[in-house]
Amino acid sequence: MTLQHVGKNVPRVDSVRKATGEALFVADIVLPRMLHAKVLRAGIPHGKIRSIDTSKASAMPGVKKVVTGQRCGMLFGTCLWDQPPLAVDKVRHAGEPVAVVLAETENQAAAALKEIAVDYEKLPFVLDPVEAAAPGAPLIHEKNGEYRRVDYSVHPIPGSNVFHHYKLRKGNEQEGFAKADVTVEDEFEFPLSSQAPLEPHGAICRFGADGDLEIWASNQAPFVLRDVLADMFGISASKVRVHIPYLGGGFGGKSDVSIEPMVAYAASFVPGYAVKLALTRGEVISGALIGRGMKGRMRIGAKLDGTFTALKAEMYFADGAYGDTGWPVDTVAGHNCTGPYEFPNAIVDVYGVYTNSPSVGAYRGYGHPEGQFMSSRLIDMLARKLDMTPAEIMRKNFLREGRKNALGQTIKKSNGDLFGCLDVVEKALAEEPLPPNDERYIYGKGIASMMKSPKMAANAASCCHVQVNADGSAFVNLAGIEMGQGVHTVFAQMAAEALELPFEKVRIYFDVDTQFSPWEWQTVASMQTYRGGRAIQDACRALVEKAKETAAKVWNCVPGMIAYKEGVCVHPNTGATLSLGALARGFMAANGLTVGEPLAATGWYRVPEITEPDPETGMGNAAGSWTFGAQGCALRVDRRTGEVKILHFASAFDVGKAVNPAATRGQVTGGVVQGMGAALMEKILFTDEGVAKNVTFPAYKIPRLHDAPEKQTVVLLETPNEEGPWSAKPMAEHPIVAVAPTILNALRDATGVEFTALPVTPERILEALKTRKEDK
Amino acid sequence: MRVLNFTVNGTPRTVHLEEGRVMLASVLRDSLGLTGTKVGCGTGQCGSCTVVMDGKAVTSCTVPAEKAEGTSVLTIESLAEGSVLHPIQQAFVEAGAIQCGFCTPGIVMRLYALFTQNPDADDETIMKELDKHLCRCTGYETIVQAARLAQEKLRAAR
Ligand code: FES
Ligand code: FES
Repeated sequence: MTLQHVGKNVPRVDSVRKATGEALFVADIVLPRMLHAKVLRAGIPHGKIRSIDTSKASAMPGVKKVVTGQRCGMLFGTCLWDQPPLAVDKVRHAGEPVAVVLAETENQAAAALKEIAVDYEKLPFVLDPVEAAAPGAPLIHEKNGEYRRVDYSVHPIPGSNVFHHYKLRKGNEQEGFAKADVTVEDEFEFPLSSQAPLEPHGAICRFGADGDLEIWASNQAPFVLRDVLADMFGISASKVRVHIPYLGGGFGGKSDVSIEPMVAYAASFVPGYAVKLALTRGEVISGALIGRGMKGRMRIGAKLDGTFTALKAEMYFADGAYGDTGWPVDTVAGHNCTGPYEFPNAIVDVYGVYTNSPSVGAYRGYGHPEGQFMSSRLIDMLARKLDMTPAEIMRKNFLREGRKNALGQTIKKSNGDLFGCLDVVEKALAEEPLPPNDERYIYGKGIASMMKSPKMAANAASCCHVQVNADGSAFVNLAGIEMGQGVHTVFAQMAAEALELPFEKVRIYFDVDTQFSPWEWQTVASMQTYRGGRAIQDACRALVEKAKETAAKVWNCVPGMIAYKEGVCVHPNTGATLSLGALARGFMAANGLTVGEPLAATGWYRVPEITEPDPETGMGNAAGSWTFGAQGCALRVDRRTGEVKILHFASAFDVGKAVNPAATRGQVTGGVVQGMGAALMEKILFTDEGVAKNVTFPAYKIPRLHDAPEKQTVVLLETPNEEGPWSAKPMAEHPIVAVAPTILNALRDATGVEFTALPVTPERILEALKTRKEDK
Repeated sequence: MRVLNFTVNGTPRTVHLEEGRVMLASVLRDSLGLTGTKVGCGTGQCGSCTVVMDGKAVTSCTVPAEKAEGTSVLTIESLAEGSVLHPIQQAFVEAGAIQCGFCTPGIVMRLYALFTQNPDADDETIMKELDKHLCRCTGYETIVQAARLAQEKLRAAR
């Protein structure tokens, strides 16, 4: 049957309410008896709290309560319980919350904040992850190694700041490099940066007198949040209710938990009141979750024909004050740093290091951009050494049918077509030859290939509930969070396809509420289209079966002989029909006698047989799906200003099936520009005193319209596969993964300079051009 | 207590201002419940709080409330007529220019001010106005398309 909805550019189901400003974000929500919270942050990167005096602040107008972490015995986490909701006896980064003022208005809370006096004993601090991991560095957590943790997955080195050491041991290092004719090696840096969703984080939390906890939050992981809060307070998960309104972007920065435990802790002191906290932009960077922060070294060995023999890498992550959100990024960065290539020998060590900076969590790409930045730049260097093109080297080593990835998993043809992606990108770039260099501009081209295989909890699943109304329309309920990626639209398309109903007849529940929404692990790892889509298929299949069972009772036949088409059960012999609407509440005869179940069904999907990587080898069935792609760009450097203009950025991804090609293109164009920000402008800077300093716009610079590429080419390949719903595979974070190396490879082409640290700002380019000898 | 008198979306309003610095964005959102105006930065940089004040686009997070005295302010809530979207809003929907939508109201209001004043604004002018906004989701491609489409729609309606 030809597809009716999947593959079509239907308009987004949330766009009208967003165009009118009706769509509610957490900051728009007002509850009765609501207090406003303001947070006092440490202001020093590392120190002991000697005392906190809140007496003056407590007496200020409008102030209901000032909450500190003194005597707070709680730690929260999902796999590593190392963080209190508010600083207790020590502060570990300058943005760490020390006290929360709850007042009738935000202004009153802000005024009272100034009256809190905290006495600190300052301690030496460390921001650099390599320094922090070295012996003799100031210890940020004296209890590292003693905290409760999932010990199969999190591997601390007690007595140090390393709270997680992931090691990959595929093959043999010596043998691998002995077989190499050439090696390339360099050091790399991917700085701390902000996901910078346009909507700052916010939360509203209320404890009832009965001990029930209700929270509204800008969060990508409602069920994780529910369970974390229940665990922290030692109450039953069924007493915690999480509401998620629309999210104004997330990009990982709102996944797992960030500010919510603090808000909930503060709210626990004022039962009956709702407590609202809306972060400022500055707090989004200094006091929520940030991303990346990798310093690393990588070596690749290859034969003269370009065949890889070995890879060796070390990465240190400045994961910040607390480690629960950082360790899985580190693990993923480790086994994905090979990129989409086969290395018979791959030896990788990744260190998640406590540093006196904000905690690192997920950021679009989740470890992949960090590791593949190194491999993609080294391939470019290797090409020059071997006098081959980078594309030739890529094609030699691409993962393909029968080849093994770093985890030891064997790739199938249906996993995707890297060759096709690279062909498309090369062709797109070749269509527009670069102008010759002139007095003002120099030009260059670069390419890189990528893969992403999401990291998820091994038991991560999506669940779906479908219900039919008497008019034949359908409610579809899942807990995938709409944060801009278009998940509700894609869900509706897939449900309409599965039920063979007109698009307008399918309604996706917009509000996620842990009290009503079926369980979902969380909206991360670009898994909603794939995993949520499979859950929808499963639920819809079950629903149609139920409809047939009722119809069979009416017709006195076996369900198996009944056909289903476009919302109607059809008797094959008599041609009699019964619509979903007629069967919605069971079938009622003229006299009222009713047979059959009300039409509702559940479905679910879990990526099968995922395991955590083996603690010793780092290998195993840890990746459940792959998306492959290639990117390339042509750019221009202004010799006078050092400014870079991307003239053309081409991307090709094998998405299996684009459920909504226009929305998919939007993911790519947006991801490319976000990646440009990382390549050319974004980095969180710290003062000499260890305080993040460029925390607001424009000091923290993200791309504007005039920064965007002049032209983007986006090509979506669709290799059929047995995994995704209608073949659709993960496709959301992916466009960011290879952007930085693509641009830096092009900068090398233009300037002859090997940049290995991000971001490459105009100042750095000017500096490099000065020392450069001649034009290429 | 300080009092602010101004016109919002055609209706005269009187708002009592609390102690301390109060910005127009907060008056609109917190006092008047017009939450379509978004606050993404509070420093005049992202444009998500843009409203139209006496015909000009302003970032309401940087306008002290007193400065709005006697003015006429239009917010995103004023644009659609019932359930009929304004052509600029319609253009954003059709062009697929809305992802998370947090930047959308501000950009729509900026274009409203521009096209009201200068319906034939050239491409360069449009780009300059759009450059005052941040969008982290779209990469701007569809926003540019939406702005052009909005201009076409407005011209056709003239
Ligand atoms: S919130 Fe006003 S410009 Fe950003
Ligand atoms: S659509 Fe999300 S910031 Fe523009």
